[in-house]
Amino acid sequence: MAIVMTPSTAGRRLRGSGLDRALPYLMLGPTIFLVLGVIVYPLLDGLRSSTGFFRFGHLVRSVGLDNYRQAFADPAFLEALLTTARFVALAVTIETVLGLGLALLCAREGRLIRRIRATLILPMIVTPVVVGIVFRLIYASDVGLLASIAHAVGLDPPQILSNGTGAFWGLVFLDVWEWTPLMFLILLAGIQSMPVEPFEAARVDGAGTWRTFVDHTLPLLRPTILVAVTLRAIDALTTFDQVYVLTRGGPGTSTQLISIYGYQTFFQFQQVGYAAAMLFIVALVVLVAAGFAVGLMRRRGR
Amino acid sequence: MTRGRLGELAWASAALSAIAFAVIPLVWMVLTSVKTNREITQDTSLVPEGLTTANYVSLFSGREFGAYLTNSIVVTALSVAIALALGTQAAYVLARFRLWAGMQRYVGFSLLMVRLMPPIVIIIPIFLVAEQLSLLNTQLGLIIIYAAFNVTIVVWMMESFFREIPVDLEEAAMVDGDTRFTAFRRIVLPLAAPGLVATGIFTVITTYNEFLFALVLTSTPAAETMPIGAATLIGRINVDWGAMSAAGVVGALPIVVFSIFVQKHLVRGLTMGAVK
Repeated sequence: MAIVMTPSTAGRRLRGSGLDRALPYLMLGPTIFLVLGVIVYPLLDGLRSSTGFFRFGHLVRSVGLDNYRQAFADPAFLEALLTTARFVALAVTIETVLGLGLALLCAREGRLIRRIRATLILPMIVTPVVVGIVFRLIYASDVGLLASIAHAVGLDPPQILSNGTGAFWGLVFLDVWEWTPLMFLILLAGIQSMPVEPFEAARVDGAGTWRTFVDHTLPLLRPTILVAVTLRAIDALTTFDQVYVLTRGGPGTSTQLISIYGYQTFFQFQQVGYAAAMLFIVALVVLVAAGFAVGLMRRRGR
Repeated sequence: MTRGRLGELAWASAALSAIAFAVIPLVWMVLTSVKTNREITQDTSLVPEGLTTANYVSLFSGREFGAYLTNSIVVTALSVAIALALGTQAAYVLARFRLWAGMQRYVGFSLLMVRLMPPIVIIIPIFLVAEQLSLLNTQLGLIIIYAAFNVTIVVWMMESFFREIPVDLEEAAMVDGDTRFTAFRRIVLPLAAPGLVATGIFTVITTYNEFLFALVLTSTPAAETMPIGAATLIGRINVDWGAMSAAGVVGALPIVVFSIFVQKHLVRGLTMGAVK
């Protein structure tokens, strides 16, 4: 438990002058004001517009929960939800497995290992839009890296972004490349903070590497894995930048994630109320997941 | 753990493939950026035959990439500075004071929930509000929004850093005649410097990389940031591959250089302080 100034000492010190008494509120005020004005107010405003019908960007009339009902009857919305769910499930699973492997690989100390670690986290630092560009340069059927390799060994260039399945997996692969490093970092920290006793005991008992991993490493790492997976899933749920650059949701609707569909509904089709309703449904999912993640982190912090 | 020679070899090859996996896509972008457009589209060579700087030159003459980069750096620096200045004070209050109705226990949590809310959800109302206030396509509009999002994370991260600092030190300073606020500035803030650095790193990287708000709220090089500039290079029909890859390299460079600069604190920053 962290040391916190007890109320009695804080109070005694502060009871003195009027300014000291107001100080905490003066120091907290600007932050609260900024967040309320810039984030919370628009959020509430958006909630209000999600119950309205708009024409040319102006509220025509209130329609109650019709926009929400419309969402669940809209095949395109449901398809986008499903595509997003498949994308998140696949990407996060692969990232967890690879991140865990890398973390186990790098769980030693030394100069070289620090260099390796620094190199491995490069993909998550690079701007997401640039990551989109990087993968266009890999997948492009005429000038891409894969096409050039195929050309060099005398094969036909692979068509990745021009067919639905290829584009979807191409997007999953992009996400795996970009975000496995985050999984790796969190899990590595988890591994390094594990107690040594169970592992020494297992070695004395003559347990093999695999048994030790299943019996000791995995159970001890479970809370860390859970936090990492939840945080990554929240982020992946609203992936936008990379899709915008790589495929814009296409071909067809094969990579149309929910954020892309919501964006288009608002900015291309001008359906303000409906777009807002759709995105609040997503927000609800995120909120539940976020509450879960923060709860886990707090419990771990104690 | 005893490792045979074979084990070492397996380890080394696994490490090498991981590095190759992380680096090759970026290397390919750099290689493409120094090829001529003829070589890119017709020769499909893996290694460039000659080096050209034409793609880079075209970004800055003819295209406004310099303006995009300047906007990015100005907006990032100011919004992070504002967020750190306001957020550390708020975090200190939450870590040390008992407020009305015990709200110090809930503020940090609520702010984090706001932060985890996906930007796409509030982009529509923010667009409408920015339009009313004539903040569309201005650096100021972006600075205000990024400052608000950053301040939530500053409070969340700094609160836990402040809690790690023993309260005795401030009390001693106050006995020596410091006011509460000078004790905070003189004693606590320097001790919290590593936390401040980690927080700064996280906010700088996420702000510099931000795309959605900039895409929706800006429309000309007067306020457009680097990610927008790079994305607009991707035409729908004709793609200028050379310029696009050069834009990727130039765009990523500032943040990669920044990361190398702050390498020692990078991991703590990237994981929101969760990893020490």
